[in-house]
Amino acid sequence: MKKSLIAMGLVVSMMLPSVMNAQKVVCKVKGSDTCLPLSQKFAEVYGTKNPGSGISVIGGGSGVGISALLSGTTDIAQSSRKMKIDEKMKIQESGKSLKEVIMGYDALSVIVNPSNPVSKLTREQLEGIFTGKITNWKQVGGQDLKIIVYSRETSSGTYEFFKETVLKKKNFASNALLMAATGAVVQSVSQTKGAIGYVGLAYLEKDIKALDVSFDQGKNFVEPTVQNAKIKKYPITRPLYYYYISSKEAAFKPFINFILSAEGQKIVLAEGYVPLS
Amino acid sequence: MKTKKSTFFTAALVALSLATPALAQENAGTVSYSDVEQLQSDNALAKRLKISGYIQTQFQKADTAGIASFAGGDFTSGIDNRIAVRRGRVKFLYDNENAQAVVQFDITEKGLGIKDVYLTILEPWLNTVSVTGGVFDRPFGYEISYSSSTRETPERSRIFQTLFPGERDLGGRLSIQAPKTSNWNFLRLDLGLINGNGTNVETDKYKDFVGHLSATKTSADEKFKWGLGASFYKGGFAYTTTDLYTMKTTGADKSFIKETVKKGDRSLRQYLGLDAQLSCDWALGITQFRGEYLMGTQAGTSSSSSSLTAANLSAVSTATLTGSTAGAVTSSNVGKDVYSRPFAGYYAYLIQNILQTPLQAVVKYDVYDPNTYISGNEIASAVTVGKKTGSADVKYSTLGVGLNYRWSSNVKFMAYYDFVSNETTSNIVDASTLKDLSKDRNDNVFTFRVQYKF
Repeated sequence: MKKSLIAMGLVVSMMLPSVMNAQKVVCKVKGSDTCLPLSQKFAEVYGTKNPGSGISVIGGGSGVGISALLSGTTDIAQSSRKMKIDEKMKIQESGKSLKEVIMGYDALSVIVNPSNPVSKLTREQLEGIFTGKITNWKQVGGQDLKIIVYSRETSSGTYEFFKETVLKKKNFASNALLMAATGAVVQSVSQTKGAIGYVGLAYLEKDIKALDVSFDQGKNFVEPTVQNAKIKKYPITRPLYYYYISSKEAAFKPFINFILSAEGQKIVLAEGYVPLS
Repeated sequence: MKTKKSTFFTAALVALSLATPALAQENAGTVSYSDVEQLQSDNALAKRLKISGYIQTQFQKADTAGIASFAGGDFTSGIDNRIAVRRGRVKFLYDNENAQAVVQFDITEKGLGIKDVYLTILEPWLNTVSVTGGVFDRPFGYEISYSSSTRETPERSRIFQTLFPGERDLGGRLSIQAPKTSNWNFLRLDLGLINGNGTNVETDKYKDFVGHLSATKTSADEKFKWGLGASFYKGGFAYTTTDLYTMKTTGADKSFIKETVKKGDRSLRQYLGLDAQLSCDWALGITQFRGEYLMGTQAGTSSSSSSLTAANLSAVSTATLTGSTAGAVTSSNVGKDVYSRPFAGYYAYLIQNILQTPLQAVVKYDVYDPNTYISGNEIASAVTVGKKTGSADVKYSTLGVGLNYRWSSNVKFMAYYDFVSNETTSNIVDASTLKDLSKDRNDNVFTFRVQYKF
């Protein structure tokens, strides 16, 4: 009896590590800078809970992530825009099928230097500023100060979303400064008095000021907050995507399940994003 | 002694194997920032050179041995099946920001051919205007520049193979397209000035104009994408005889009537084309429609409506004109009277990706009427005035059905069947099924192709 108990104990102890490692995930996530802090947190928490996991997360922009997925150099592309039909056709051309997962939402925030007295702008005013028609803060009730426009690069999903939703597809001002990363936009706006830019909600910090925006010609101004985005009051809200090749899903399915679980969605909220429900 | 030696040898091996990781770690530890910078710099340089290509190997079976075919060329006399390397392409592209150089070769069992040799320079101020010089795809329509490695069918339409054999020409091209950041990016204009002689050495003083204006848009939800384009070609080559034949009606006759032209003057090749594309991402997978319509005037010979380039030029004698036209023409089509025909043709594709599977079904229908002035029994009918028409004036339509299996990002399998139909005329009756046009010829072709793309 004693012997069989010992044997059972040995068998169980031998099985334990393999059970624990069943959730082990090793994969690469690349793309959107907006998604970057969130994906990093997912990877960190998941890695702590599942020893042996190795999830590397890199930014660069949604376009960069999707290109990496097309070329097979990343497992998951994180994107703050929907994949384009051309990109889907390229995936199909390579004989692969695509899986799309929405992991949360982001409220895109318009930011200025904290010293700027302007605290709210209408969509029309934003369009004027970012397209170069409004060039001085005094034209929108601010100081007599030249407006310095900061934008993300064209490979950024945030760039495309902002152009589509706020600028109604009009061109950015030719003198807009295109930054390679969201962090660079934050840093530049925090250090430049007349600066204006746009970043994901999770990037808001004390060195920059988020503006209330109005999409109804100034009748109602809404502050970019998780709550306002959640109740769909804040008008510049967008889904955040994970894209991956279906046939590779099994390798990181536990990680995706974790993101979509109640625990994962708590992280979404804690990191300043809007959870799925 | 032997044991001692082997022990020593083993010890040395162990010591060596232990030392290697230690050495590697030591080296890894001494990697400096400048080493990384050097690596990044080398990597950036290496990325400027891009090498790509594809190999297409295929088996084909024709209904009848020795048929003339647009499914990869005519079948050898007496042969109804063949295995061939249809295309073996290697492309070298050196891209240094606003300047590119491209060289592409085609290597098959027939030998080595040059496909592309061109340079492109994009102006750095607006990033909108680029200039290309060398051998490149003629900017006409959509199907010409649609890569054979991506195309869902084995070959381009009969009308493009006839009017633009080899797709390429030698010349210069001006392209205007606003950068991606611009709202005008959806428009593109290509204007070319080319020899009009394919990839051959220029044989006359005339240059041909070719242009394509296109617009492409995608819906905001990325479910639809459409494109529209219009193309124009105007050119021609120098007459090498004084006889030009054009279609005219004289009484009940529709025939080629001779006009006298001056040697060295220019014949007329004038084409107008319209193209449209629509892609739709929906529940059954991505569906694509593509179509193109062409019409115009073609300068050919009595036996062919094909553009006088490449193969048919080299097939005839070479000579230099003398007298008043000396120096104007040194053409290899000397001695061939020009037959001018009004033509029309089109193609339509329906391509359906089957759900999210690697399978793709395709149906294509294309029509080429080399001489719209006549049809049916008018073709080759006896005439009292002028010269009668012939087999070069017969209309062809081809229905193609196929299935593609994209096995991986490199490998694609294609099974495709061409149902070829010809216009019939009771005036061309021949015992040989290869020449008889009184009924539909048995010239369907099955193609099974394997492609490796890299």
